[in-house]
Parts: sequence; structure tokens; C-alpha cells
Amino acid sequence: MSKNIINIKDLSFVFEDGYRGLNHISLSIDQGEFIILAGKNGSGKTTFLKHLNGLLMPTSGLIRVNGKDISKHLVETRRTVGMVFQDPDTQMVGDTVFDEVAFGPENLKLTRARINETVTRILKTLNLYHLKDRNPSTLSGGEKRKVAIAGILAMDPEVIVFDEPFSNLDYPGILQVITTILGLNRSGQTIMIATHDIEPVIFEATRMMIMENGSIMEDGGPLNLVHRLESYGVREPCFSKFGLEPASWQK
Amino acid sequence: MAEITLFTYRPGVSILHLLDTRLKFFIICLISMSLMSAGIISCCFYFFILLFFIKKTGLHFFSILNHIKLFLMLLFFIFLARTVTMEGGFPFYGLTLSEQGFMEGAMTAFKFFLVMLTGLLFSSTTRPSSVKAAVQWFLKPVPFVPEKRVGVMISLALCFLPVILRQAEEVSDARNARCGHLQKNPVRKAMGLVLPLLKKTFLSADHLVLAMESRCYSDDRTDPEFNPSGRESAFLLGSIAASICFVFF
Repeated sequence: MSKNIINIKDLSFVFEDGYRGLNHISLSIDQGEFIILAGKNGSGKTTFLKHLNGLLMPTSGLIRVNGKDISKHLVETRRTVGMVFQDPDTQMVGDTVFDEVAFGPENLKLTRARINETVTRILKTLNLYHLKDRNPSTLSGGEKRKVAIAGILAMDPEVIVFDEPFSNLDYPGILQVITTILGLNRSGQTIMIATHDIEPVIFEATRMMIMENGSIMEDGGPLNLVHRLESYGVREPCFSKFGLEPASWQK
Repeated sequence: MAEITLFTYRPGVSILHLLDTRLKFFIICLISMSLMSAGIISCCFYFFILLFFIKKTGLHFFSILNHIKLFLMLLFFIFLARTVTMEGGFPFYGLTLSEQGFMEGAMTAFKFFLVMLTGLLFSSTTRPSSVKAAVQWFLKPVPFVPEKRVGVMISLALCFLPVILRQAEEVSDARNARCGHLQKNPVRKAMGLVLPLLKKTFLSADHLVLAMESRCYSDDRTDPEFNPSGRESAFLLGSIAASICFVFF
């Protein structure tokens, strides 16, 4: 039986201006799951992800990560649930790829020897080691996204949440990111991807949630829910529309 | 992709790349100050040393000259200003021209040029993170200065600059695509560029804060490390000797 990592009970969030971002969400996430969080723009996907990383705190309800209330164990939560943001350009802190990946471990006050060892290992795993001295702003879109993932991996998280990981990427960039994400999932990482373009990952996903107006409207097997996507403003994948068999995007 | 300028760090394994950044900082200050009182022989000698290191680090002297055209123009104006303001020369339309003024102007411009080349060698062989680490190290003994925070701020400024430049270019292109270039009023033209750019910059800063927070940012972080190459003593002695020569010759 898989270990339960995240447990959410009756989560609601109201913004300062009174807009209700999340509505009574209750769910649990197990280790090793690959979850697609689908929904049109403004449905509450990013707001939900920010709660998992402790960047936003619930107005009401409870989120437990590994059984611990996130509001009381913030650093542990952020170590356990890493978040990769939509725009890698505005989340790069280091002036070289190596320094960018080392930023998280430095915040955790790991020893310099351990930081160097961890960063080197992760860069080699993601085939980024040859770029270690490059300025992140000079990389391609796919490479930047991989560096952002490496920066999260350096903190050794159990869950990685991705906010629109395929936005602004060309086809090779999407393939690079998919290959990286699938490799992580196969090595035991729990993955959650918030996207309105589910085509690239639906074949590999084990679960799909569809959000609308801050609520989880559907939660189940991805292939069972594909026909309902368009009623929530999300494009149905081509294979499903044309009655074809689903196929992986990974080469 | 962001543009790489001449002043951007270029990875390498030359002796200048491997030298401890704190020492490089010290040498650059020492040499720049002593150069101001150096004579023509010392300046020429230092120029050849710089040429040697430029070659060693893989830079091309003529490419450097091409990149710093604007700076060379500024040096030319400095040269002109010195040449025509020296007292004792023969009058020429209200200005005074003299051989001494010409020499003084040429020397001043040459010294600024040498300082510029020294800075360029420093920036192209020093990782920005090492600059940050060195600043942090120098500030450590200064009371009431949060050196780690200053270090992170320097790092953020260095990596945010290309993002802001790119955004400025995007805003400018978006305006020009709608014939913004026809706007002749310089104030309205500047406002049209500055306001959207500021908005974008603040939004990006907001995103950056969130990204840093999500990775557990705090002032209490692992200290930077320095990896001396072992040739620091030789460089220190050499630069002190050179500075003494500059002052006396």
C-alpha cells in the first residue's frame, strides 16, 4: 500500500479582495502518483499548488504533509513539496546553472561539501552538467525548465508540483521536460502538473483532477475523464476526439 | 536568449580564472590607484602585461576595442579637454594648445583605458557568485551591515539585469509595432516605455520573491567558499612591486 503524503481537509481560501480562490477541497495524495490538475485559466490551479508548498495558507481547512500541519512546519513542507513555477526566468536566483541549483541547499544550511556533491549529482542526472558554468538566462526554454527542476530536486523533495510546465515551450522543449518528469516519477517522486494542455502527459498520468471556480469538480482516472474536459473549458486531447488509442509523447 | 556582453563572465581555466576573487579585488584597487601616478614607461609595461593576460584568457584585443567604441570616444573627449585647457600653450580661438597639454591628455586617456581593460579582465574571469562572496567576506567585519543579505542582493541584481533588459526590449518592440516611434515628445515617449517596464519589473520581482520563499530562503545560509589557486602570494607580491614601480617611474 502506498504511503499517504498529502492530506487536505475542507480547504478554502479567500483572497484579500473577497474573491473565493478555493472552495472546500478535500483529497489525499499518495506516494508515486502522477496527477494532472486540469482546468481553464482562473480555475484556481495555481492557488491550489501554492497551498501545497506553503506559499499561501488556508483561510479555513487543514493541509497535512507527511501527517504534519503545514502552517506549523513550513520549512519541512517546502522541503517535501517542491514547486516549479510557470516562468523560469523570474525564478532564477543564481548567476550560473550551478549556483542556481545550489540556492535551495544553501538555504537549508547544508555543508559546502554536501552541496557540491548534491548539485553535481543532480546536474549529471538531468544531463545539465556541461552547462554548469552557463548563465541561466542564456539557455533555451527547455533547458531553463530543466534547471528549475534541478533547483527543486537539490532539496530532495518527495512531491514536485509543476505550474504549467509546457507553457512557452517548443516541441523539443516539451519533450525534454516530459522525459525529465517521467524519469522522476519512475524513480519514485510524486508528481502533480497543473495544466490546461493535458495531451503531452495524459498517457502517463495515473490520476486527473479537473478544477472549476476553485473547486475540484472531477477526480479519477485520466482516460475516464477525457470526454468531460471540454465542459470545463479544457481542450480534449486529439486521440480521444478522433477515437484513436492514446500514445506516449516520450520518444 | 539573452545577449552576452564583453563584461559577462566567460568560463575558463586560465590563471586569472583560478585566482582567489578577494585577491583580485585587492589587486584591482591597488593597481587602479597607483596607475594614476604612473609614468609613460610604467603604463606601457602594464599595457603589455594586460595584453598577455587578455590573450591567456581567450579574449581578442581588437574585438574588445570594437565593443568599447563608445568608451573610446569618451576617452577622446577627455584627451581633447586636457589638451586644450593646459595653460602656457599658444592661443587658438580662445583655447590654448601646447605639447605638454597634448602629452597630459594622452596619458590621462591611456591610464583610463588601462583601468578599463583591468576591470574587463576582472569581470570576464570572475564568476558573479565569487564577486558576491568576496563582497560578503569584505563586509563581514563591518558592524551593522547584514553581509549575507547584501550578497544575495548583489547576486539578484546581477541575474535580474538581463531579465529587465529583455523586458525593456519587448516593451519597446511592442510600442514600435504600433508606431510608437512616431511619438516625438520625449517625455511621453519615455513614460510609454518606463511605466509598462516598471509594472513588468515589479511583477517579476513578486514572482522572484515567491520562488525564493518556496525554496526556503533565509539570511542564515551556507557561507560561500573560496578556492585559492596557490599562486596568490606570487600575484600579491608582484602587484605590490608593480604598484611601487608605477608610483616612482
